[in-house]
Amino acid sequence: MKPEDRERIVSDVVGRILDREMRLAADDPSRLEEVIAETIYHELARLKREKSTPETAKETATLKKLRGRLLRVSETEKRDILKGMIRRFVNEVLGNFSPRVYQLSTRVIPAGLSLLLNALSPKRMLSNLPHLPDFQEQIRLKGEIAQIRSLMDKGTLILTPTHSSNLDSLVVGYSLFALGLPPFVYGAGLNLFANPFLSFFMNNLGAYKVDRKKKAPLYKEVLKEYSTCSLELGYPNLFFPGGTRSRSGAVEQKLKLGLLGCGLRAYINNLRAGKAKPRVYIVPCTLSYEMVLEAETLVDDFLKEKGKNRYIITDDEFSRPRKVLNFIQSLFALDSHIEITFSTALDPLGNRVDMQGNSLDPKGRPIDLARFVHDLDGKPATSAQRDREYTRELGEAVAQAYLRDNVLMSTHLAAYATFSVLVEINDQLSLFKLLRTGGIYESVPVADVVSRLKSLLQVVEDLMARGRVRLDEDLDGLPAEDILALALKYFGSYYSGNPAIERKGNRLFARQMNLLYYYSNRLQGYGINSLLERRNEVGAP
Amino acid sequence: MKRVGVIGGGSWGTSIANILGLNGFEALLYVRNPEQRQEINEEHQNSRYLRGFDLSPKVRAVETVEEAARNSKLIIMVVPTKVFRPVARELGEYVQGDQMILSASKGFELSTFKRMTQILREETCCRKIGALSGPNLAKEIMQGQPCATVVASRYEEVAQAGARVLHSSRCRVYLNDDLVGVEVGGAMKNIYAIAAGILSGLGLGANTQAMMVTRGLAEMRRVGQRLGAVKETFMGLAGIGDLMVTCGSALSRNFRVGLGLGKGQTLEEVLDSLGMVAEGVRTTKAVHLYAKQEKIYVPIAEAMHRVLHEGMAISEVVGDLMKRRARYEVDDIA
Repeated sequence: MKPEDRERIVSDVVGRILDREMRLAADDPSRLEEVIAETIYHELARLKREKSTPETAKETATLKKLRGRLLRVSETEKRDILKGMIRRFVNEVLGNFSPRVYQLSTRVIPAGLSLLLNALSPKRMLSNLPHLPDFQEQIRLKGEIAQIRSLMDKGTLILTPTHSSNLDSLVVGYSLFALGLPPFVYGAGLNLFANPFLSFFMNNLGAYKVDRKKKAPLYKEVLKEYSTCSLELGYPNLFFPGGTRSRSGAVEQKLKLGLLGCGLRAYINNLRAGKAKPRVYIVPCTLSYEMVLEAETLVDDFLKEKGKNRYIITDDEFSRPRKVLNFIQSLFALDSHIEITFSTALDPLGNRVDMQGNSLDPKGRPIDLARFVHDLDGKPATSAQRDREYTRELGEAVAQAYLRDNVLMSTHLAAYATFSVLVEINDQLSLFKLLRTGGIYESVPVADVVSRLKSLLQVVEDLMARGRVRLDEDLDGLPAEDILALALKYFGSYYSGNPAIERKGNRLFARQMNLLYYYSNRLQGYGINSLLERRNEVGAP
Repeated sequence: MKRVGVIGGGSWGTSIANILGLNGFEALLYVRNPEQRQEINEEHQNSRYLRGFDLSPKVRAVETVEEAARNSKLIIMVVPTKVFRPVARELGEYVQGDQMILSASKGFELSTFKRMTQILREETCCRKIGALSGPNLAKEIMQGQPCATVVASRYEEVAQAGARVLHSSRCRVYLNDDLVGVEVGGAMKNIYAIAAGILSGLGLGANTQAMMVTRGLAEMRRVGQRLGAVKETFMGLAGIGDLMVTCGSALSRNFRVGLGLGKGQTLEEVLDSLGMVAEGVRTTKAVHLYAKQEKIYVPIAEAMHRVLHEGMAISEVVGDLMKRRARYEVDDIA
């Protein structure tokens, strides 16, 4: 980002939010006071939860003083106070945004990542060549790559990946580099910076920091307006619309619409400003891992009693360098791979977009997108209720793309087959009890799982033929027995000592029911259970 | 907004066009039949469906879907559900993203159980889609009797636009954002209208009717909630309101179908003498298929399916219905 753009974004964000608040205040005289009081309330609550330091004490005192003063100040002063608050938030968000780092990031991260992985790679022995290793085998890029390249100069892109692991940021960062794309503006959670081992990468990759502990609506407005402004200036953005890593292991279907809506806002603002390239494109992309670094912690959190689970987890596998090393080593040693699949681009309403960047209706006819945001006089305008609905439909389209471009891998399929057999033989236990107790019967004959896996593969092939899901190409044509063996190898290696499933003789033992459940959940959202049932009913072989 | 397109010149489509005309809007009514078109444009009558009623001169019959749709900010679809998809597909060729479409057709697509607005979403580029429903008998509306109707959409501006063109001293318009509930209510009530007609034809009285209507409402609500409807909607005009009118009036087509069956006519005989489409017959089949797949408890709709599509005797079906075990009422109603 150019330094002048940075200045412009700061003043635009402050100006726009302040304008909006002043317009609302015109109808509601107590508005300014309420917004300020609300922000103070949320900030004080946050400070109270945090570890106390001289800084937090100072900040608390300042806020309390301001709260006391609020009743006595004039409307003009309130406006200034609010402006100060917005400015503070904006500076905080942009505080770590260094244009120099942003420019360098695509060059630095992949190199750094390469060095790290190279150091771990067993292949290092084979080649002491000075060039960096090629990740084509480990990180495979698939999908509509040609379209992304084509759209880069037709409008502004928003990349919206699924979110399973903190490593997603690194994987996406590498992918952008591998595709020769410029870095994307990305709001990374503060917790990603906390880990010294990886903060180097995060600092370079995440162009700005998001403090998810800040709950004040005003702060969230700042984040959204920041994204909108950067999009308007033509900076591509990266959002994880799931909001947080998928806890259950399933492909996320409930998306956070707040940030997703920025694309539409930027598009309308661009139209109003008469920009030459007003369009914004949303590119969903699906990250599929054979093994997820933080699976154990994530699924444990998912299964916690309601209310006890956490939105932000900081003490997981990701914060333990040895775990990360072990994971990356496994990735190499096992010839394991990560698939990143770029879906067909969408417009801010969720319509599919063609190679030239034109929006298409459900029947594939080109449409005039600008008309969708016209007011009654035929001029482009925002409309809060309408735009919320448009964004909701966009969210649905992104969620559908996730399911379609989800790549099913050996671990997912084997876990699903094993878990579904286990559920059947433990039919007197509820799902929750099964997961909690590990079941009454914790082992099953290998033959039963293989037979289930065979049926499952046929169901998955039917779904694939209808374009509803993808299957890892490495598994293509592989017999069920081999897929199971592959999965056992992965489970056995990364979770060495305590694998999810283990084969002893002719039986499979579920060692970690939760992990089995986690990996099997990648097949959720397709109605596979009832498809399997139906196959049995018609007596298919 | 001066011009409104109405696709479908049956009795309900013509009545809607007439309301629009009386409210001062130019109503472009797509009518397939050339004689009917000529009659509407020259004599301001549509004697095939609404004999004896004068239409507003602002109602103009047009020859093509394109003419009705091209320059209308709002388009109202009033065609039988059987042809809804092909007509919507044609409409899709002419509409743009700033246009709004309301469906006044009540029913589901047989093979998919999709609602009419879902079909509009699939066949056109339009997003601003909604439904018009409620206790509205075309003839009573043509007589100028006071009535109320519901315009439902997830897009506020669609509901507002519907209200703007339809609201008058004779017609109150209520808005609703529960599109699913409004469409399910409007579609399913036709099943119970046929059932009510049968009971009347059998000479059964008010007790029996009240039982059927109340339990029918519970079935509608169960199906609706499975599809994501808000249960309160079924307590409104598009739920119980529409159910009351259609189960209690001899002006209702579906009621008349049931009446004929109850008096011993065959389904073919009744439909022949009606001369119009009775949506309830198809809707019964659609609900039967969906409820079976989703395992939803709809005993009255099931019974109607046996009568209409499986050739079972009415006496047998009514006997079966009455023999079911006692259940707690609140389990279903609350």
